[in-house]
Amino acid sequence: MHPKTPLPDYFSNCTHCGFCLAVCPTYKLTGDENNSPRGRLRLWSEEAAGRLPQDKWTDFYTDECVGCLACETACPAQVPYGELFEHTRHDHVSAGRSKPPLALRLAAAAVARPAWFNLALLPARFIRSLGLSIHRFLFKGRPALLQSTAAYARELMQQHRPTGPRVAFLTGCLMEAAFREINFATVRVLIENNVQVVIPEDQTCCGAFQEHSGLAGAEPLRAQNRRAFLPLDVDAVVSNSSGCGYSLGKSLAPERPVRDVLAFLGELGPVRRERAGSRARLYVDLPCHLVHGQKAAGIPQNVLDATGYSWELAPNARDCCGSGGVYNIQKPENARAILAGKSAFLNEAEGAPVILGTSNHVCMMQWHSAGATGLVTRPYEVSHIIQLLDPGAGFAVRATAPASAPC
Amino acid sequence: MNPLPLSSQLKQLLPRGRILDSPAQLAGYAADALGYKSYLPDAVVIPADADELVGFMKGARQLGVPVILRGAGTSLSGGPVAAQGGVVVHTSGLKRIREINVEGFWCEVECGVALNDLDAALKPHGVFYPPDPSSGPVCTLGGNVASNAGGAHCFRYGVTSNYVLGVEVVLLDGSVQRFGGPAGGRGPWREDWKRFMIGSEGTLGAFTRFWLRLLPLPEKVWTLRATYPDLRSIEAAIHALVAHSSYPAAIEMLDPRGVAMVETSQMAVGLPKGSFMLLLEIDGPPALVDARVGPVADLLRHAGSNDVVLSDQDAMRQKLWKARKAAGGLLGQLSPDYVVQDAVIPKSALADVLQLVYDEADAAGIRAVNVFHAGDGNLHPNFLFDSRVPGELEKVELISERLMRRVIEVGGTLSGEHGIGNDKSAYMPLVFGPDSMRLQWAVPAAFNPTHQLNPLKVFQNRRFAT
Repeated sequence: MHPKTPLPDYFSNCTHCGFCLAVCPTYKLTGDENNSPRGRLRLWSEEAAGRLPQDKWTDFYTDECVGCLACETACPAQVPYGELFEHTRHDHVSAGRSKPPLALRLAAAAVARPAWFNLALLPARFIRSLGLSIHRFLFKGRPALLQSTAAYARELMQQHRPTGPRVAFLTGCLMEAAFREINFATVRVLIENNVQVVIPEDQTCCGAFQEHSGLAGAEPLRAQNRRAFLPLDVDAVVSNSSGCGYSLGKSLAPERPVRDVLAFLGELGPVRRERAGSRARLYVDLPCHLVHGQKAAGIPQNVLDATGYSWELAPNARDCCGSGGVYNIQKPENARAILAGKSAFLNEAEGAPVILGTSNHVCMMQWHSAGATGLVTRPYEVSHIIQLLDPGAGFAVRATAPASAPC
Repeated sequence: MNPLPLSSQLKQLLPRGRILDSPAQLAGYAADALGYKSYLPDAVVIPADADELVGFMKGARQLGVPVILRGAGTSLSGGPVAAQGGVVVHTSGLKRIREINVEGFWCEVECGVALNDLDAALKPHGVFYPPDPSSGPVCTLGGNVASNAGGAHCFRYGVTSNYVLGVEVVLLDGSVQRFGGPAGGRGPWREDWKRFMIGSEGTLGAFTRFWLRLLPLPEKVWTLRATYPDLRSIEAAIHALVAHSSYPAAIEMLDPRGVAMVETSQMAVGLPKGSFMLLLEIDGPPALVDARVGPVADLLRHAGSNDVVLSDQDAMRQKLWKARKAAGGLLGQLSPDYVVQDAVIPKSALADVLQLVYDEADAAGIRAVNVFHAGDGNLHPNFLFDSRVPGELEKVELISERLMRRVIEVGGTLSGEHGIGNDKSAYMPLVFGPDSMRLQWAVPAAFNPTHQLNPLKVFQNRRFAT
C-alpha cells in the first residue's frame, strides 16, 4: 500500500455548523451530505483516524469537489479546507485511488516545460489568430504567434520608458501559450498607467495545474518561481489570472505577496476608456480564486468604472462557474450543470453587445463554452477585465504620476 | 419480514431518488451539528421529490427498521441521527417554493427549502418570515418546524409555531394528512392538530410541505449595541429593555468570552476587551423608530454602559449579526468540540444561573462561552471540550446536569428552540412528572405506535420494537 502522509490536525476546528453546505456547488447539485465540505471532512478524518476503511466512495466524493473554496469564505471556524483537500487529492492520485484524465496528465507534464508547451500550442494560437474558434473552451482573440510577452514588454518598455512603480509579471503557462493577447493587453495597460513591467524569463508554471489535478511535480515549479521572483527589486509581483496568482502567492509567501493586477491598478486609479453612446453592458463574474482563494473583496470598483462600460455584477457572482481550474475537464457533466445555473441570465440580459467580464482565463474558457454548447443561445462576448482597459497600440504613458504608488 | 435486502427494498420504494449504503456514504450522515456523537445509519435515502417521499413512507413500515427524517443536519440536539440504526431520509430534494401569496401574507414551501433561500425569495415582495435561527443559510423549514426553531428576533416575533398555518405530513400508514392550510386554524379538523406536528422532532410523520404566515418587512431598523463592565449592569439593562415600551425585536447578549472570541476572529467588530455586549434592534415605521431610538440608547447608558453604538445602516447591521450568528462556528477556533445547552429561565434568575455556569465550568477546568437570546431568557452556554481527551465529555455532562437542575429549581425549562433530541432526553424526567411524561408519550404512540419514527429521541427509552 502506498504510504500516506499524515493529515494536519485541522479537522478539529470543524464544529459541523453546516454553513459550508449552503455555498457548495456539488451539495447544491446533488443534495448529498457527503458531497459537501462538511461531509468530505468527515470522510477524510474518519479514514485518517482509522474508523473508516479506504472506500471508493471516499475517492468519488473527493474527486467531485470543484475546489472553488467558497466553503473557506463561509466557514466561521476557519477550517483550511483548501489545504486539506489538496493534500488528500494529492495522496489519492499518488496512491492510484484517483486517476486524472490522460489529457490532464499530458498537460501537467507539458506545462513544466514552458518552451515546449508554447510550441505545442502554436496551432491553437494560429487558429485563434485567424479569428476562429474550434473548441468549446477556445474563446475568441488574436494572440501573437511567435513574439513572447517578455519580448513584447521589453519592446514597449524601451519605447515608452514609464517611471512609476516596478512590477514583476507572471505570464503563466496556458495564458502565454494559448491566450497571449491577454498578457499583451496587460503589459499595455500597466505601461500606459506608468508602471514599469519586468518579466523574469526564468519563471515557470505556478503549479496550480498540479494542485488542481493532484498530480506530482508542483514543488520543483514552486522552487523555480521562488528563484525567479524573490531576488527581484520590484514594488510588487502581479498576476492577471486569479488562480495562478493565488498559487504563486502560496509559493512566494511569506516573503512576497502576489497582487492581482486589477487590485494593483485599483490602487493607482487606472486611465479610463471612453465609450460614449455605447449600448454595451458588462456583467462581471468574480473568480473563486480571487474572492475565496486570495480573499479579495472583489474587482475594484474604480477599475470596473474605468472600462467605460455600464456594468453590474453577474447574478451569484461569487459562486463558482464550474471551471474550477481543471474541473470542467475532470467532471464535465457537473461543470456544465453548474454553468447552466450561472449562465441562464445571459439569455435575457440587456445590452448590445452583452459582455461577460472576469479576471481568470480558465473562467473565460468555461463562460465561452456556455455559448458553444447551447446553454446560452444569444450572442455575447467573453472578456478579461484587463482587455477592457486596453488602450491598444499607439498609446501614451499617462502624464501625471500615480496618486499613491504602492510600496 | 421482507426477504429482500434493505437496499433492494429501498430501490423499489425510490426508483428516481438516491440510495446510499456504502460505509463512506453513511459516514457523512452519522451526526448532526452536535458532531461528537455519531451513529451510523444502515442506509440513507434522498427522495427526488415530494411524491417519492410519500411513496417511501407508504412502504416504510415494511422495511422493519427505524426511519429518521433529516433536513440539513444543523440541529444541535442530536435529533436527526440514527440512534437505533435504520434509514435516514435526507429531504434535500424537496426544495421548491411553491407559492408566495403577497396579498394573503402566506407562502407554501416544501420541507427541504433552506430558510435564507426563502428569505431571499420573499424580500422583493416586501414580506418576510420572522423566525431566524442562526443556521439560516442552510437549515431547512422542515427542520425548523420539527424543532419549533426560534432565533434572535423571536423576542418580539415569536417562534416557528406562530407562523405555521398548515402542515402536510405523511404518516406511517401511508396516509397524507393536511392539518391547517393557507387559511390557518385547524382546517377541517375538530382540533388544531398541526400544533402537535410543530416541535415533534420527526417522531410523528414526514413533513412534505408547509403553509407559512408572512409579515410586511419593517420599513426601518435601528441596530444598537452596548457594552457593560459586569453581569449585574447588563442584567439591569435587559430588565429595563424588556419592560420598555419600545419593545425591541431582538435582545442578544455575548459574555466577555464570547466577545473575546469574536474580537480575535475574522469577524471582529471592535468590542472592548472584557466587556459584556448587548445587541438589540428596534424596527417599524421610520417616524416611530426614529422617535424611540434616543430613549432606548439613554436606557442602555443609564443601566451602566458608556459605550453605546447605534446605526440605521444595513452594512453595520449585517456585520454585527454575522458575528453573532456565526458564534457556533467561531467556537471551532477555540476548541474541537462543544455542547450547547438551550435552557429557558425566568429573566429574574439570569445573573444567578450564569454565575452557576461560570463557577461550575471553572471548577471543572472547562471553558464556557455564553452567547444567547437574553430577552427571552433563552440561555446558550457553550461548554468547550475535546472529545479525544478522556474524561472531558463526562465533566461537561456533569456540569450540564447541574445546570439543568438549577434551571428547573428557578422555574425554567429544558429547551427554547433546539429541541430535545437524544442530547437532552435524559433531563426530561427532571422537568416532567410521571403523569406528564405519560401524556406526552401518548402522542407519538398514537401516530407512530411502534416508534419506528426517530426512536430514542425526546424520550430516552422510546425504542423501536419490530
